[in-house]
Amino acid sequence: MGVILEVKNLTKKFSGLTAVNDFSFEIKRGEFVGLIGPNGAGKTTIFNLISGFEKPSSGKITFNGKDITNMKPFKIVNLGIARTFQIVRAFKFMTLLDNIKVSCLSTRGKELAKQYGIDESASSILAAVGLVDKARIPPVILPHGDLRKLQIGKALGTNPQLLLLDEPFSGLSHEEQQGITELIKKLHDDGVTVFMTGHVLRELMHLVPRVIAMNQGKYITEGPPQEVANNKIVLEAYLGKGSEQLA
Amino acid sequence: MFEEFLVFGAVQSAVYALLAMGYSLVYGVGRILNLAHGAYYLLATYIFYWILPFFVGEFGFILGMILTLIIVSIIGMASYLLIIKPLQDHEISVLIGTFALAFFCEQLVSFLFDPRSKVIGSIWNINIEFLGVSILLHRIILIIAALLAVGSITLFINKSKLGKSIRAVSQDREAASLMGINVDRILMYTVTISAFLAGLAAVFYAPIDRVAPYMGWVVLIDSIAIVILGGMDSLSGSLVGAFILGYVRMFTNFFISETISTILPVVVIIIILVIRPRGLFGKKEIK
Amino acid sequence: MTKQIERISNEIKEFPKYLKDWAKTFKGGLTVLCLIGLFLMPLVTTSPYFLGIFILAMIYSIYAASWDFLAGFVGKVSFGQAIFFGLSGYITAASLKFIHYPWWGALIFGSLFAALVGLIIGLITLRLKGPYLALGTMVIAIILQKLFALYELKPLLWGDEGISGIPPLSTNAIEVYYVILIFMIISFIVMIKLTKINIGIIFRSIRDDETGSDASGINTVKYKIIAFMISSIFAGIAGGLFVMINRAVNPLIFQSLYSFYPIVMAALGGIATISGAALGAFIFVFLGEIVRDLADPLFIFSIVLILIVRFASEGILKSALERLKEFWDVLIGR
Repeated sequence: MGVILEVKNLTKKFSGLTAVNDFSFEIKRGEFVGLIGPNGAGKTTIFNLISGFEKPSSGKITFNGKDITNMKPFKIVNLGIARTFQIVRAFKFMTLLDNIKVSCLSTRGKELAKQYGIDESASSILAAVGLVDKARIPPVILPHGDLRKLQIGKALGTNPQLLLLDEPFSGLSHEEQQGITELIKKLHDDGVTVFMTGHVLRELMHLVPRVIAMNQGKYITEGPPQEVANNKIVLEAYLGKGSEQLA
Repeated sequence: MFEEFLVFGAVQSAVYALLAMGYSLVYGVGRILNLAHGAYYLLATYIFYWILPFFVGEFGFILGMILTLIIVSIIGMASYLLIIKPLQDHEISVLIGTFALAFFCEQLVSFLFDPRSKVIGSIWNINIEFLGVSILLHRIILIIAALLAVGSITLFINKSKLGKSIRAVSQDREAASLMGINVDRILMYTVTISAFLAGLAAVFYAPIDRVAPYMGWVVLIDSIAIVILGGMDSLSGSLVGAFILGYVRMFTNFFISETISTILPVVVIIIILVIRPRGLFGKKEIK
Repeated sequence: MTKQIERISNEIKEFPKYLKDWAKTFKGGLTVLCLIGLFLMPLVTTSPYFLGIFILAMIYSIYAASWDFLAGFVGKVSFGQAIFFGLSGYITAASLKFIHYPWWGALIFGSLFAALVGLIIGLITLRLKGPYLALGTMVIAIILQKLFALYELKPLLWGDEGISGIPPLSTNAIEVYYVILIFMIISFIVMIKLTKINIGIIFRSIRDDETGSDASGINTVKYKIIAFMISSIFAGIAGGLFVMINRAVNPLIFQSLYSFYPIVMAALGGIATISGAALGAFIFVFLGEIVRDLADPLFIFSIVLILIVRFASEGILKSALERLKEFWDVLIGR
């Protein structure tokens, strides 16, 4: 079980504000890891830095041994890292099938999709996320839960080794959360390394074997969810800010 | 020669400042790239040209100016209400709509007057001795008027209640509306002010320049060049840009070639857009 | 590889049936009727004046479609389409008059040059967001206009007067008509096909959400430039043909007005439809003729454009019906 992602001393400053401060951690291949922290802790920034949408002020990011620190987003995707966004993005004027097809047309996605035909591959991904009956509908009329599934589908189209999920449960009803949870679990079982963020521990606790906690851009601790939940600094970070429950 | 260059440069910068200030305001406050900005100048020059014969004497000239300013401000307000506001949601539609308006105005004046260039005489056409140069009084008045206008507007934006609202909207539209500011009305005032300033530039500059249908485009390109040079959302930046471009333009005109000086603004736009899109003082928003 | 060959041969086998089915649809049938009408037009009238109007409309169709391709399907709005129209025009004219190329050679030369320019302009301007791209392209066109009109550059760029006395495509107006009709048909087939195949999906993803497209692993810069080149090559074809019809070219071909034309025409017929560009171009040219005696057509058109953009940002007539029908199809899952 080698290391798939290594983040060393990652820092990101935005004119005066330090969003990520000397952050370091590792993720091993096949793992299922969570990243938690209260709102504004810097979780999305970390994702943006890993996926290439932001350039770090300093630090190093290595994927499968390769330095991806300053790479362009699409290149990083084609190396095997796919991400979803906290605020759902979709190609609003295209059908769901076409939405997935775009990912299948990426260099990396095409390698896999070509074997079965791009259309067929896209369809099977839609089926995998449970949206195949809505294949010809544009995203604009879909409920939020389906849009989150679509995002995961789009990420899958690029045949990722590492999947970054940014707040995949945000704004979902309990049922919808269940659906996504099952989907994510299945992906992990199929061998995809999953790294996800959340600011409410409740969902993550039962899902991930390991959790990294951060606050105000800084690394606090990591470990099994129960341990982290009882960590003094973590508790302060959450309770100090308000009414987030951890249990 | 050099002293003349200084004076002419100041005149050009003054006119540019009036044009750029309004343009920058509209962009800063509403994120609107108003391609009809030149049309306000154009219409003002023609309105002034047309109504002047009805007024006589020195007082009449000034009255004519004031009347023109009032009319062009109303036109500015109308352009906002009829074209910009309804199309706000799609940036591109605003571009096309204001572009079409600019075209329309050009065609309108060609149609109503005729495509040839015209001249408006100034009442202040006596020469004054200043620092060893003989300057037309009109130019001095222009510079003074521009300074007063720029100063007043700056004061207005920084100190008055309405000015504060304008600044609020330019910083964060949503937050401003949550605080109870009527964003729509603020935008309307801003566009009206920009038309007023363009009109001010027109009534002062046209008498020593010319009145022609293509002037709308010249003014538009100049305004865009200055504002891009200075930084699209920075008011002080556009003033600096006006000063720089005004003098560089005059320099090119005097000491290099007149023809090349007419291409200058356009070249500036491209160079800035490619090398440093946010201009000198703009914030890093462009990409 | 064999799967691809299999698929293509299947497509070819099924083409006649596909054609028949398409002709039966509302849109297809209408198009077929119009095409038949266009083919038969020279039988109705051989007057160079009337044929000339149709020819101009067809050339403008290609021009408008080139803009619509870029704006409607890739989301990049150019206010400087005249750059390619004009540059191809000049190159075509020069090759015809000074190097004595045959008309099709000059046209190819002009269009390829336009594509090259598209590549360059694309590299320069594609980092710019929406309004800035529009501005940048508008400004480059103005620079070209001033450059080509410069007295000092006359020996190189022919100055104010441009190039005149260009040898014609053919002395027979009917021949010219059919040649241009064929160009129009081929251009449209190519552009429409491009929007339907895989690369079209990539283009549309860039239009709908460029960041999302990056996140899906697409090299958006590469595809934006390809799109720019496709748009510029067709604008170049239109420009070359335009210049051959007029037998002359001068710096005015770069004026903002000519960048404005394809926008009006595409808007008239419906942005993001490609075929709408043809409708818009024909309406534009015909209305222009009708109105010519009353007032300057430009005047009317600026009003028309304001009205269109104001009240029907999807274009009029065909587009409204189209959109409705398309959306309905999508909804009922066809």
